[in-house]
Amino acid sequence: MGVPSIETIAARLADSLRHVPSVGHVADEIEDRLDRLPTDFNEYGYDPWGLNRDVVARTTLIAALWYRHWFRVETHDIERMPHGRVLIIANHAGQIAIDAVMLGTAMLLEAEPPRIVRGMGEYWLPTVPFVNVIMVRMGSVVGTRKNCVDLLQADEAVIAFPEGVRGMNKLFSQRYQLQEFGLGFMRLALETNTPIVPVAIVGSEEQAPAIANVHSLARLLRMPAFPVTLTWPHLGLLGMIPFPVKYHVYFGEPMRFEGYYNDGDDVIGEKVEVVKQRIQSMLAAGLEARERRGRFLGIFR
Amino acid sequence: MASKPFVSGADSLFHFWPLPRPDDVLPPRGNDGNGAWTTPASDTTQVSLPSGNPPAPEQVAHPDTPDGTGSGSVSAAAAVGDVRGAELGPDDGDAHTETRGEGDIETRGGEDTADVAAEIAPAPRRPVAVVSSRERLLITGIAGGQGQLLARSVRDRFEIIGVDRERWDNHPRYVRMHVLDLRRRKLEDLFRTERPTAVVHLAFVRHFEANPRLRHEVNVAGTRQLLDYCASYGVRRLVVLSSSYVYGALPDNPCYMTEDAPLNVSRTYPEVRDLAEVDALCGAFLWRYPHIKTSILRPVNTLGNTVHSAVSRYLKLAYVPTILGFDPMLQFIHEEDLAEAVAVSLEKGIHGFFNVTGPGAVPLKVAIRESGGRPVGIPESVARVVIGNLFRLGLFPFPPGAIDFVKYPCTVEGSRFRAATGFSPVFTLSDIFKTARR
Repeated sequence: MGVPSIETIAARLADSLRHVPSVGHVADEIEDRLDRLPTDFNEYGYDPWGLNRDVVARTTLIAALWYRHWFRVETHDIERMPHGRVLIIANHAGQIAIDAVMLGTAMLLEAEPPRIVRGMGEYWLPTVPFVNVIMVRMGSVVGTRKNCVDLLQADEAVIAFPEGVRGMNKLFSQRYQLQEFGLGFMRLALETNTPIVPVAIVGSEEQAPAIANVHSLARLLRMPAFPVTLTWPHLGLLGMIPFPVKYHVYFGEPMRFEGYYNDGDDVIGEKVEVVKQRIQSMLAAGLEARERRGRFLGIFR
Repeated sequence: MASKPFVSGADSLFHFWPLPRPDDVLPPRGNDGNGAWTTPASDTTQVSLPSGNPPAPEQVAHPDTPDGTGSGSVSAAAAVGDVRGAELGPDDGDAHTETRGEGDIETRGGEDTADVAAEIAPAPRRPVAVVSSRERLLITGIAGGQGQLLARSVRDRFEIIGVDRERWDNHPRYVRMHVLDLRRRKLEDLFRTERPTAVVHLAFVRHFEANPRLRHEVNVAGTRQLLDYCASYGVRRLVVLSSSYVYGALPDNPCYMTEDAPLNVSRTYPEVRDLAEVDALCGAFLWRYPHIKTSILRPVNTLGNTVHSAVSRYLKLAYVPTILGFDPMLQFIHEEDLAEAVAVSLEKGIHGFFNVTGPGAVPLKVAIRESGGRPVGIPESVARVVIGNLFRLGLFPFPPGAIDFVKYPCTVEGSRFRAATGFSPVFTLSDIFKTARR
């Protein structure tokens, strides 16, 4: 039984990256930042939700290379991030959830103290082999209400994209137009008395411009959407590689809301609208700044 | 017959309260309330104790009683009694001697000398009953690993009556052992004669070697029978050892399920639905008899040297089959911590459902490696077929329904129990895995 498992092979591949000189620096930097995490790990290196420090170190290394060299992410006002529990609300776009990965990497590499961003996974994700393990080891959990409340009460940073799939798979013509927001995040924030940090991500919405969404194919393949982009699916797997757009991530002032979390949808909806307007105006400001750098090339620099 | 059935038809369903409380029908007992040890109410010659957990008065009276082989204890043995004699005794249950002939005593080394002094009282030669100052505790399934541990950890605080289908060879002297099946009428005789006021129910068939019908009958009918007797014979505290498996392992389980989570296990693992039924049965009992302090404990995976749990069998396989691409978090507790948790539940007289958790959770594969095994990932489609067939042939100890427990998490939140009892586990995760090594 000397055959290494798939997990071991992946881990070895990631570790071999460290031997590249400039990558080694990044790896060391990540180790330093992970040492300063406010998370408690048990004697085997796992936190109560299954987060593993070594897996985070490896995945963050790969993400950090994309972060630094492909998307050249620039964060603005990340020092606004409060300590303790926080709910990060951002716009969602780009066909695959790279914006979530970049935001998580930013929080680990640039926030003080470094934070692990906790994602709320879709209900079907735990049934997908390997994906479910990676998801949990990186600190995400199934997006049940109980999990979210527990994480916030343990003073973790939870990320939510209230647009959900509606936002991620929007067409190029709808870029930077926020889709309908779900209300759940506001109820959770009210219940756990958590500040909301609005985040506007500029750049992600051009990384994979979708020209159509084939609903019938999506239903057939049981996927939430089947986007057709400039490169996907006709270029195959290569077509999934996003354009090297430049990411700007704007962090807003923390917002605190008061009220009863079981209020009717109209009352909650008003509060959600405030957050949505804030993100929309932050997006507008970010786009304006980008316009000044050049109408087309500004997207890339 | 004083037996009042547990559920006696529609009428009693709507009469929640008017059942006679033991306080109304039995003479007042010594010390009660505020969680202190109470003395059994059945005996008019009871000695009441101050609160707390004091030493037995016999021990105080004779602090210099030498050891078990001393002449004092031999003369005490004159009072009578075979272990089995007590069970068959024709007496009406209020005069019991707990001392035994020297011939019955199996010496098991020096560890018991301390309680021999406490157990074997200087026998009064009068025809008066030997007064036991301690509450009587009936433990079902006492011969199992968990039962033995529990008996040992509560021996100073209770007079222990043990029941099991299996013999417990060389059982310690502080246990009055009765070999009988829970489904037998003889169990009722035992309640009548021994008059236990506390019951711990551990007698469940949790393996799959037995006929499934027998398993269901022992677990469900046996529990039902026991609950009836508890209600009829003045039992004041009851602890049932259920399991956290009753919640089931499902993909959308939250990481930390509270006691309010639904009991979903039969959805994917029908072979153990009797455990969920038992849990529900005890839950109904808990609501119906609020004066009986009933706690239903749902512990996580239990490991240790004496316990034969499903998970320890699994971890001790030569090559441990896992499902390729899945590695859920599992919680563990050491068997001795669990015995302590049961003892603490009795002591505090807590009432309700309680998840009992240990020091924490690790992924399945870490648990396998730490307990000395080798995980072998098998694609799920293959595993379902292979395990199903091997199980049918008796070559694999778990039915295919168990697969979900190595795919999805079934982890629970233990804060309610810790808040109610102040319990905290002593054994760390690495201690626990050491005991599971083959």
